[in-house]
Order: sequence, then structure tokens, then C-alpha cells
Amino acid sequence: MADPEHTSPESPARPRTRPWVSVARALRGFYRVLRANVLSFVGFVLVVAIVTVAIVVVLAPHLLVPYGATQETGVYSGPPTLLRWPPSFAHPFGTDGASLDLYSEILLALPLDLGIALAIAGFALLAGGSLGLIAGFFDRPGSVGGYTSAFILRTTDVFLAFPSLLLGLAIVAALGPGLWQVMVAVLLTWWPYYVRLVRGEVLAVKHLPYVTAARAAGVSERRILLRHVLRNVLEPVVVYFTLDIGTVLVTFSTIAFVIPGVVSYPRPPEWGSMLSFFNLNYPISQYWWEVLFPSLAIFVTALAFSLLGDGLRDVLDPRTRRALVESVAAPNPPPEAPELAGTAAANPSEGASMPEGS
Amino acid sequence: MSEPVLSVEHLSVEFQVASGRVRAVDDVSLTIPSGRVVGIVGETGCGKSTLAQAIPRLLPEPPARIAAGRVVFRGTDLVKVPRGRLPLVRGTGIGMIFQEPLNSLNPAVKIYDQVAEAVLIRQWREAGVLPTFRGGPNPFDYSRRPLPETATVLSRPIVPGGPAVERARRRLPGRVEVRREVLDFLRLVRIQDPETILDCYPHELSGGMRQRIMIAMALSERPSLLIADEPTSALDVTIQAQVLTLMKELIDETQASILFISHDFGVIAEIADDLGVMYAGRLVEFGPVAEVFRSPRHPYTKGLLRAIPERYKSEGPLAAIPGSVPSLARLPPGCRYHPRCPLAQAVCRVDPPPVLTRTAETAEGEIHRSACHFTEGVAGLP
Repeated sequence: MADPEHTSPESPARPRTRPWVSVARALRGFYRVLRANVLSFVGFVLVVAIVTVAIVVVLAPHLLVPYGATQETGVYSGPPTLLRWPPSFAHPFGTDGASLDLYSEILLALPLDLGIALAIAGFALLAGGSLGLIAGFFDRPGSVGGYTSAFILRTTDVFLAFPSLLLGLAIVAALGPGLWQVMVAVLLTWWPYYVRLVRGEVLAVKHLPYVTAARAAGVSERRILLRHVLRNVLEPVVVYFTLDIGTVLVTFSTIAFVIPGVVSYPRPPEWGSMLSFFNLNYPISQYWWEVLFPSLAIFVTALAFSLLGDGLRDVLDPRTRRALVESVAAPNPPPEAPELAGTAAANPSEGASMPEGS
Repeated sequence: MSEPVLSVEHLSVEFQVASGRVRAVDDVSLTIPSGRVVGIVGETGCGKSTLAQAIPRLLPEPPARIAAGRVVFRGTDLVKVPRGRLPLVRGTGIGMIFQEPLNSLNPAVKIYDQVAEAVLIRQWREAGVLPTFRGGPNPFDYSRRPLPETATVLSRPIVPGGPAVERARRRLPGRVEVRREVLDFLRLVRIQDPETILDCYPHELSGGMRQRIMIAMALSERPSLLIADEPTSALDVTIQAQVLTLMKELIDETQASILFISHDFGVIAEIADDLGVMYAGRLVEFGPVAEVFRSPRHPYTKGLLRAIPERYKSEGPLAAIPGSVPSLARLPPGCRYHPRCPLAQAVCRVDPPPVLTRTAETAEGEIHRSACHFTEGVAGLP
């Protein structure tokens, strides 16, 4: 409580610029770094678009989903038949056996699938990440921390001994069908990877000289953990997390696809179960659109996060960040480099390699 | 001579390794009087850095273990401080400068925040907000000499803990004051325009700049003892000269005592008052630096001095000590240097020379000690 060391790590006393100016500058820098690499820029745009669409679908579905959640297509409003329409202007992705508009159906499934992927990866990041932090930092053998660390690691070993998809399927089989059951299954197979990742990074960072230097300066262990270790571990972990969102989505969809009816199509709409349902009930050779478009939705979403994850690596590393911002900001450097005083900072745009995207 | 700032008495440090215990530092004793610079030289792996890190208890324990001895710093035996209290002890008078300026600064933190962290910790301690260590027969003395010219905040007395904490917090220096002090310390290490680098990340600065910032951070604790662990080894020669000049000036200004670890006799000759020579975990010779250079009293020192390349001699092979440093896990019996020693006799193979007992007094009355059976014979060596 009475210990401001942990409560006030704010950077004190700077000649303050107005906050929105610095926010705008940060955003501009972020944009420049991303723009330097075309693929990650595409990923960024896709992710922003996907998230925006998901939010709109949740808040105001009538703007984007022409047939709404009740799916009145007007094609056929009686009892379901096998009447299915190929893609047309009225139904860009075609309709399915119950005359539901596939385009609306896929959009309606987006918030759910995205939310599931974010929730599972997020839980795994928080739970696995903090366990990994503990296991990596407090690993002095013979102490309470050492035993805790060993316990955490042996538990992850048990989980990692099984292929994650098989383990997930087994857990679903044990828990029974249902959306929550599948989520729990994927989550249970997912967190050990984060424990391993974070622990490895912590072990690498915690013996670096600057951690010893901070310790020598009298910085408390908790603050060393948060400021000096966690901060330098964060970068690879965030990158991995972003890449992981797509993987979670694919895994979840795979389980929903492999076990038909585990998520009951058509309500709630979900891409994996959608695929499973169509695949089982209709021959693909005649009704290709029913399998193509849900798969594309999964593919594009997973791809977007993978591309963004690659770009984030550059953004998060202060070394590449500064270099990229300045290389893009000044595409044609002046012919004579400004002479720097002997003790002044070295020109940061020199020496750092600049990945060129285009 | 006044009371020593630091006295290390019979310190032994062991490492637990797969094949058993290894003594990296064996029975080392030295004292650092106030205001003096003590240099330690030795080959790679002789335990210099272990000694430097063992004094402020920075070695990870385990695998390291302080097997015996005392480290008395300002009246407190650091060896006896319980592990949980160590963060209170560190940063309260022993400053550290590390070997690699590249890795000694947190790459994710801007220069300002790095220096401010060290400054804030001291200020919080002085204001009594952070708990401070009060162990040993004499508590730590926080009323340090203010730094000349640059000291803007005079040391404050310790406010008793508990209910007085709120009052103390109100007396904490504000942001402007912290910033001014950060700039002061950066100017103290001769950085011309410290404002321009505050927002830089460490990788944007040169090695010399980074080492200056390390020194500024170490000094911001107002240490009475500075431990410099090969501070110039990773720098190129011109920067090395700059940093050495800076450190020599700072010694005069801050009146700090320094334990200076190096493998470079030139650097030591430049900066140190006293010189200790380490071999295979032991201190084999200790004396005033000029005396050790003029008349070494241990054959190893003599060999090292002979191995320094001469500037004007361009022909012939460089002199070297035959053999190589023994592994700490398999030390030779008797004197550890005897397989390489030109003076070695039968007694050396059996009987280890007692630690630093062979003394000689110099003309100024200072004591020059060595650990060798045949210390009188050293002068006759080539």
C-alpha cells in the first residue's frame, strides 16, 4: 500500500505535448511501420475490416446482413425443402437447403467465431502466460517457487504429451456436444504452449546484464519482474498471440467439422459446423458454394491475423520501429548526412536493417 | 587511515555444478579504504567477476553459495543479510558498472526512465517511503556527501516508518525535480546535451554513451563504493580512454571508493591506487600499484608483467607464461601456480602458501603482501 515504487512507474516530468498530438504521432508511426511491409499492411487492413464488420453485425445487423437474423430470403418461406440457389446478385454466396442466404449466414457467424478465437487465445495467453512467468522467474530449486515451477512444468508436459487436436476431440467426446464444451476443450489444450513460450523467454531475459544491473540498483524483485523481464518478454508473446488467433479459429472449426452436430447448425451459426453440415448433407460437386464460402471465411480470417502478427514483430521492436519510421518518413535522404557531435546520439537509421516490403 | 568502506574477510564463493562444488573465489581478503581505488587483475576465469558480484550478493544463489567469510560494508556484514532483505541493501551505497554496455541497459526502456528509476529509488529511500535496511551493528548511513555542483537535492534524514509514511510521501520530490536530477547526473558524466537523448532507446546510442549512462545510473545512488567490472573491456581504445578519463575525474569529484576489475594492466596503472592479482580464485599479491609494478613479489605477477607487449620491440615472439590456467574443478595440489612457475620446488607441490602472509613494507610504510614460498626469489626472475 504505502509503497509508491509499484504504483507510480509513470514516466515523470517531460515537457508535455498535448496528449492527442502524441497519440496522433504514435498512430502515424504505427501506420508508417506497417506500410513498409505490404503483406503486414494487408493483414492489418483485413483485421481492421473483419473486426469492424463483426462489431457492425453485432450492433446493427440490418446494415450488412440483408436477410437479418430471421433469414427471410423470400425465395421460399414455407417448410424447408431441398431448394438451393447458386450465387446470384440477390444471394452473392447462394442459399442453402433451407433457403437461408449463405452470405448473411456467414456474416452472422463472424462475431461468434472471432469472439471464440479471441477468447480462447486470450485466456490461454493470460493463464499460460502468467504461469510461464512464475515458472520462469521463480525457479530457484528447493524453494517454494522452485516446487511451484516444477509442478507447473510437469503439468504442461502431461498436456503436451498428446497431439492438441486429438486431446481436444477426446475432451469434447467426454464433455458432450455444445459450443461451451468445444471452447473448454480447445482452451485446455491451448494454455501449455504459452507456459512454454513465456518461460523460455523469461529464462533468456532474466540472466541478461540489465536485470542484474537493476537488481544491483536495489530494484525490488516484483518490479524487476514487471518492468525489466515482462516488458522484454512481451514482444514475442504478443506476436505469437496474434498469429495464434488464426490457429485457434482453425482448430475450433476443425473440431466442429470433425464431430458433426457438436455445435448444432444452423443455430448458432458457426463456420466449422456449417461446413460439416453441408458436407454431410449435400454433394460438393453440385453445391460447391456451400462449402467454398464458409471455408474462405475461415481462411481469410486466419490469414489476416497471421499477416498482422508478422507486421507486429516489426512494430513492437524499438530497433526496427525507429528505423522503419524514419526510412519511410524520408524516402530520399539528403545527400550529405548531418554531422553529429562526438557525444550526440548515433543516427538510428544507420546500421539497422530495413526490411523492404515492395 | 580512516575506517575502510569495505572489508572482505576470507571470502569463499562456491558454485554447485554437476560434478560437485567448485570454488571460484577462495579465501580472498581485501580492504578498500575510503577514497581509494583498488584494482584487481587476473586472467579470464580467475574469479574476478565472481568476486565483484559476490560483494553485493548479486550471484544467483544457488548455484552460487558464499561458503565462508564476511563482507563488511559500512559496518554491516552483507553475507548475513537474509535473502528477502537483499533488495533493501542493494543500491544503498554500492554502485555497479558492468562489462557489456550493450546489454546492461534495458532495451525496451528509454534513457530517461532508466536513469529516473535509479534516482527515484534513492529519493524514495531518503524520504523514508521505501523500507530501508537497518541491520547490523551500525545502520546504513544515508547522509552522503552531496555531489559537487550537481547536487540539487540534499540528503534527507530517514523518516520513521509506519504512520509517518504519509507525511514522508508529501515531501517526495516532484517530477520537475526528478527530471532536473536526471539531467544533472547525465551532465556529470559529460554528456553535452542530455535533453536530446532522454527519449532515445539504448540501441540508438554508441557504446561509450551507454557506458556513460551506466556510470550515471551507478552514481545516482550516491554510492560510497563503486564496483566496476571491466567497464572498459567492451569498448574500443579511443572510447576506453575517454571513459577512463571520465572515471578518473569522477573519482576526484565524488570521493567514492572504487573496486576496479580489469585484465588490462595499462588501465589499472592509469586508475588504481592499490592492486590485487588473482590467480585461480586466490589473491596472490596485493600492494600499492606502483610497488607491484616495480617489484612484483609473486612469480605470476612477474610473468604477467613480462607478457605485456612492448611498444618499441617489434621482433621476436611475445613473452607468455607457459601452460594454461587450471580448471577450477581440478586444481593442482599445493600452490596452484606451481605447474607454470619457474621457481617451483618440491614444497610448492605439496604445501599451499599461506594466503597473503609474506609482507614487505614499502618506503611509504604501505604493506605489500604476497602468497608465495619463494617471494624473495621473484626479483631474480627474467
